[in-house]
Amino acid sequence: MPASRYPPGDLAIWIFILAELGVFAIFFAAYAFARVGHVELFNACQETLDRRAALINTLALITGSYFVVRAVAAMRIGNQGGCVRWLLAALGMGLVFLVVKVMDYAHHFDAGVTLSTNTFYRFYLSLTFFHFMHVILGMVILAAVALKARAGGYSVADHTGVETGASYWHMVDLVWLILFPLIYVMR
Amino acid sequence: MLGLTLVTFAIGAAGLGGLTLSLSVLSLALIKGHMVGDWFMGLRGVRGPWRWVIAPWLLLPGVLIGVAFTMASH
Repeated sequence: MPASRYPPGDLAIWIFILAELGVFAIFFAAYAFARVGHVELFNACQETLDRRAALINTLALITGSYFVVRAVAAMRIGNQGGCVRWLLAALGMGLVFLVVKVMDYAHHFDAGVTLSTNTFYRFYLSLTFFHFMHVILGMVILAAVALKARAGGYSVADHTGVETGASYWHMVDLVWLILFPLIYVMR
Repeated sequence: MLGLTLVTFAIGAAGLGGLTLSLSVLSLALIKGHMVGDWFMGLRGVRGPWRWVIAPWLLLPGVLIGVAFTMASH
């Protein structure tokens, strides 16, 4: 593909992505600096988190992002059926993420964990739930793109909508790639 | 990217900690973030300022997190 001056997709989505990334960056920095005064608490609470579930979710998001890349590539050569199938596969990965995360939340809520429990859990629940909502929005966008692709709404010449949806989904993946080590591993 | 994720998980599962390891894990995350921007978002095919649209976002929180963990280790 020849070099372009602008990233794939509608430029408006990139402004939106930058705004979203800015909010997450503030969240990440706030978590890290809040930890400075409560290192032992944060380390102890981190041990209660399910790293295996977080690993599954990380692998699901990376794999889902790869599927979205394949969907865009399929549409660029006019393979609408392939595009739809790759998008459905990506949606499947998104569903895996949601199911695993809901089970994770259920485990914590059963243990009596709430936003008021302590500073760590306040950050853990709010940060991961904020991201969780973005996964849902990303899935809604991918589903809308898949429906339009199935109806023949994109072509080799005009598939900006596919690239726009893909860019948003990759942003959701990108945020989790920082969130996962920060919350679950770094101590 | 999957391999780097498994390395990160293994460090966490082993219960390893400390400033050096935390900063190493953070570096792996930033490398993966750069890969997402370049390969998944397609920024490697972009010339001009938009080519680097994700880099500052990775660097700024990365530095802030690094500073905070360094402060916490003292």
